[in-house]
Amino acid sequence: MIRFTLNGEPVEIDAAPDRSLARILRDDLGRTGTKIGCDIGRCGACTVLLGGQAVNACLVIAWRLAGQHVTTIEGLDSLPVSKALVQGMTEANAFQCGYCAPGTMMQLAALLTDEPEASDDTIRAALEGNLCRCTGYHSILRGARRAADLLRAETQDKD
Amino acid sequence: MRVLRPDTLDEALSLVAQGAARPVAGATAFQVLWAQGIARPDALVDIAPFLPAGINRAGGSITIGAGTTLETLRRAGIPLLSRALEDVAAPGIRRLGTLGGQIGWGAGCLLSVLLVLEAELETTHGLRPLTDFLTRPEGVILNVRLSEPTEDARLVWRKFGLRQAFSPAMLTVAGFRQPGALRLAIGGGLVAPRRLPLSEAAGQSHDTLRRAVEAEVEMPDCPFRSALWRQRSAARALAQGLFPQTARTTRRTLRPLPRRDVPKPGLLSPDGPDWYTRPDMARKARGEMPYLTDIRRPDMLIGRILRAAHPHARILSIDTSVAEALPGVAAVVTHRDIPGLNGFGIVFQDQPGLCADKVRYLGDAVAAVAARDEATAEAALALIRVTYDPLPVVEEMAQALTDGATRVHESGNLVTDIRLERGDIDAGFGEAAHVVEDIYLTPRQMHGFMETEGGHAEVLPDGTLLVSVGGQHGARDRAQLARLLDRDPSTIRVITSPTGGAFGGKDELTVQPALALLALKSGRPVRLQLSRTESVIAGTKRNPMRIRMRTGCDADGKIVAQEVDVLSDSGAYASLSPGVLETGMEHAAGPYLIKALRTRGRLTYSNNGTNGAFRGFGANQMAFAMECQIDRLAAKAGLDPAEIRRRNLRDPGMPGALGQKVAGSERLEEMLEAAAASPLWSGTSDDGEWVTGTGMALIWQGNGLGTIPEDRGEGALRLAPDGKIEVLCGLDEMGQGLHASLRAVVAGALGIGREDVRPVTGDTGRAPDSGSTTASRGGYVVWTIAQQAGPVLSADMLQGAARLLDRPVTELTLVPGGIGEAGRNLPEPILTFADLARRALPSGLPVAHVAFDFPKSDYTKGNARFIFCAGATVARIAASRVSGEIRVDALEMHTAAGPIIDLASYLGQMEGGLVQGLGFTLTEDVLMKGGAPLTRNLDTYAMPTQRDVPRHLSVTALPDLDPGDPYGPRGAGELGIGGVTPAIANAVADAIGHWPAKAPIPPDWVQSRMETR
Repeated sequence: MIRFTLNGEPVEIDAAPDRSLARILRDDLGRTGTKIGCDIGRCGACTVLLGGQAVNACLVIAWRLAGQHVTTIEGLDSLPVSKALVQGMTEANAFQCGYCAPGTMMQLAALLTDEPEASDDTIRAALEGNLCRCTGYHSILRGARRAADLLRAETQDKD
Repeated sequence: MRVLRPDTLDEALSLVAQGAARPVAGATAFQVLWAQGIARPDALVDIAPFLPAGINRAGGSITIGAGTTLETLRRAGIPLLSRALEDVAAPGIRRLGTLGGQIGWGAGCLLSVLLVLEAELETTHGLRPLTDFLTRPEGVILNVRLSEPTEDARLVWRKFGLRQAFSPAMLTVAGFRQPGALRLAIGGGLVAPRRLPLSEAAGQSHDTLRRAVEAEVEMPDCPFRSALWRQRSAARALAQGLFPQTARTTRRTLRPLPRRDVPKPGLLSPDGPDWYTRPDMARKARGEMPYLTDIRRPDMLIGRILRAAHPHARILSIDTSVAEALPGVAAVVTHRDIPGLNGFGIVFQDQPGLCADKVRYLGDAVAAVAARDEATAEAALALIRVTYDPLPVVEEMAQALTDGATRVHESGNLVTDIRLERGDIDAGFGEAAHVVEDIYLTPRQMHGFMETEGGHAEVLPDGTLLVSVGGQHGARDRAQLARLLDRDPSTIRVITSPTGGAFGGKDELTVQPALALLALKSGRPVRLQLSRTESVIAGTKRNPMRIRMRTGCDADGKIVAQEVDVLSDSGAYASLSPGVLETGMEHAAGPYLIKALRTRGRLTYSNNGTNGAFRGFGANQMAFAMECQIDRLAAKAGLDPAEIRRRNLRDPGMPGALGQKVAGSERLEEMLEAAAASPLWSGTSDDGEWVTGTGMALIWQGNGLGTIPEDRGEGALRLAPDGKIEVLCGLDEMGQGLHASLRAVVAGALGIGREDVRPVTGDTGRAPDSGSTTASRGGYVVWTIAQQAGPVLSADMLQGAARLLDRPVTELTLVPGGIGEAGRNLPEPILTFADLARRALPSGLPVAHVAFDFPKSDYTKGNARFIFCAGATVARIAASRVSGEIRVDALEMHTAAGPIIDLASYLGQMEGGLVQGLGFTLTEDVLMKGGAPLTRNLDTYAMPTQRDVPRHLSVTALPDLDPGDPYGPRGAGELGIGGVTPAIANAVADAIGHWPAKAPIPPDWVQSRMETR
């Protein structure tokens, strides 16, 4: 039995030690918000937060999960940056088919949590492992920029 | 697999020493190996708790714990090492992988850096130099020690992959130079990591170092990069990095002089009043979009498909009895379970649902299984016994057409042969002052949609077979399934939306036959999704083409003759490949007047996968050849790229390439002048390594299916019981913005709000057949539904409202939210749509159903388009003298595709098309050997990443139509990809003086053309 915390809830599963977190999420727990595009760490569609860090869930194998905190796209709202991020990406029409969106959103959520002032170059570098086949990426960058602007405005409002 | 967790490091080491388990910390390097098919060990021993982690810098030396993650190191600001880590893997992987794993794996990208930094390893076998450890990898690495490079050191690091970022390494180099010290190392992927002692001794200058490295290194060859390319790249990168050479003069294409007297397209901007949030966007951003492969229900079985064991073989027998007996298996299906015609295909039904007597490519489906879980399904697949008699593999197109070639199909290997001759070709070439000729080769591009093929199927309580699989034309999928299953189509419901990308790759049936058969036989719901590897092997690809083009012009640059000979690889089955080739041939003259034209196109079967529809559909391949030919002629005739096009451009209103009538609102001249006026033509540079160049291409893209196939659409508008205005449309939402477009056209036609409109799409049970979501036809279809059905629905609703309100209908009008008073400025409804629906009309809720033909031309001897859209692409690139890599710095796209239905969707189609074309041009090709793909996943199939995409990407539009033009918006789906390849190729020629004729443009070709000695 492997016990970990998923989006704030305790989870206990019986999985082979080399089963990937991505498979556990989609097929064992039915949390299909996380997508699998390649299953070998080459597309980023399965990006989730492991202890607050954005990682490829297909490369996290079950035995490494014990005691960990996992946040998936289903738990996005628990992150303080989520409102600005969703609003920025939505208003910018960042995505097309949307299949890369859960991974891209979690990658950006982690980035903007750590670096709310992220520059364009930092955003681009953070997204290097998140493939998108539809957009050509510029709309995603516009959305991320807009989200960063919204976060800045939120911070200023609080000040 | 077991994971052992000992209490002490000694215990762990003894388990390793006994051979009982392999040591593992992050396990990311292991998974790279597993992904390559290396067997998983029975047991791992977790050493992570015993590994030091963290970085200690003191007194000029750096100690790094082996358990330190790569991302921590990237951010540590360690000279050379942190910089190099920007190019290793991607952030999500760097947070999992450790430095110890990089070294222990033996092939990590960082080894060359660590070698020049003279790393020493503290291991459980004592302190050892890295070089020593690499030859004898004994013991567990605990710490890595480096000396801090001093400020005056010149450092170089380069990683060369299959694209700009996040790629397996083809080569890495690292160098360190200080007065009196030169250290050099190579590594990466297949290149064994090593220092270069001879070159370190000999390298005194750029040239001596370069020659010494070329002499010293022996490089491996692989299907992706040659040994010679590796050798040259290593030598040039080290020489240029440590002894930089400055710019040299290069040759240039003549710069165009724009004409200023034509209307200019306007820049599209994602700010401003026309920018609407797409209705699907918030759900997508929250991960709440229910894709058809996301459905999970407790009663669902898991399906799996057995693929062919050989690329070409006769099937002697198929025995499923052992698999069927496996507990947990609910159904095993083979060709014997297919009651109808065991063949599908949009043009010819030559592809079996499940193979009976022969397999023709490795992706051929032979059997399928439904079981209680995936492990059982996979176990059952392994128990199906198929015996084969292998046949020779047909790999080359030319080989396929020789006499006596092995036949892929009984009918022979020639699928279609299309010829056209107009004018006197010999006389034409006789008049030519300049003739250019080349053979253009185009790639087997993979669609690379992020959601692989899959979905679910079941028999509903009323007996209807429901098949839910991402697709591009539900009604046609249903017809194909009905034929295969020998069922009345009315007993089948096909859901095809939403889908996670398609680009033509979900136009043909994919997993529907297997899923349907499994659901029918098991009587239970079944779900199935292809792994990426299975998708690579089985999925449709773009037809590789070999286009020989010979073009002549007179002394004034006027084209007098052109000869085009095309071979196109259909792969194992026809699918839409005949249409692709036909479309290519129709575009063989581009938007130019060529009085003598001779074309021939042949489509051949082979065992190289299976090919078919892909955005661009033959036109973008042909544009690559045509638009490069015209630039080559310009160079010979002493004209600039815009001027030669002006001299050859068709005039508006002239017949099309096949002599057919074409629709008006041609905007080629405007597109040409917009490209000529581009700022990208000025400000070229050469920094010693990177040489910039600029190029352009014109696009003239046909829309719709053409004169020969049936091309109809249906749709409906209705007032739904909850007061929404529903637009019923059988097209599919694949990301292109169908829903946004439907809302826009209906809101526009009715004068209501976008939020009043609810699209119902991609479901044969709920929406009529609107035709295929392909061929840039969707824009016309949605617009026509609104134009034709809008007034009918509007009149019905207004009459109903007039009765309810007891007012003359002339006093009422539709406004956002409901019925308003005509002539008033305030668009406040006096009766909401919800109230109108609730207080029902005597005749029921109003519905307006329409059916129409996509506009067609008059030419039927060949397939000809009537509606065309125009565009131009300008590319600014830089070519590397070191590696021959091409970096695209800017892409500018000018478009004239009629009125823009929805700005976000239109801009998205252009940007996405440009970048998909960028992949076609620079990095994407599924290489085959012996009928097997050499790439099996997204590791060695290099679609563009963030870093490959140009920083500058701009799109303009000229949306007006000629007065009285009745055809509305033109297609936007394929314009973006149409001209990007020739624009880049022409830019490369501007930079290096040679035209690439192969896409993706081979770095070793560029490198050898930039050879300076």
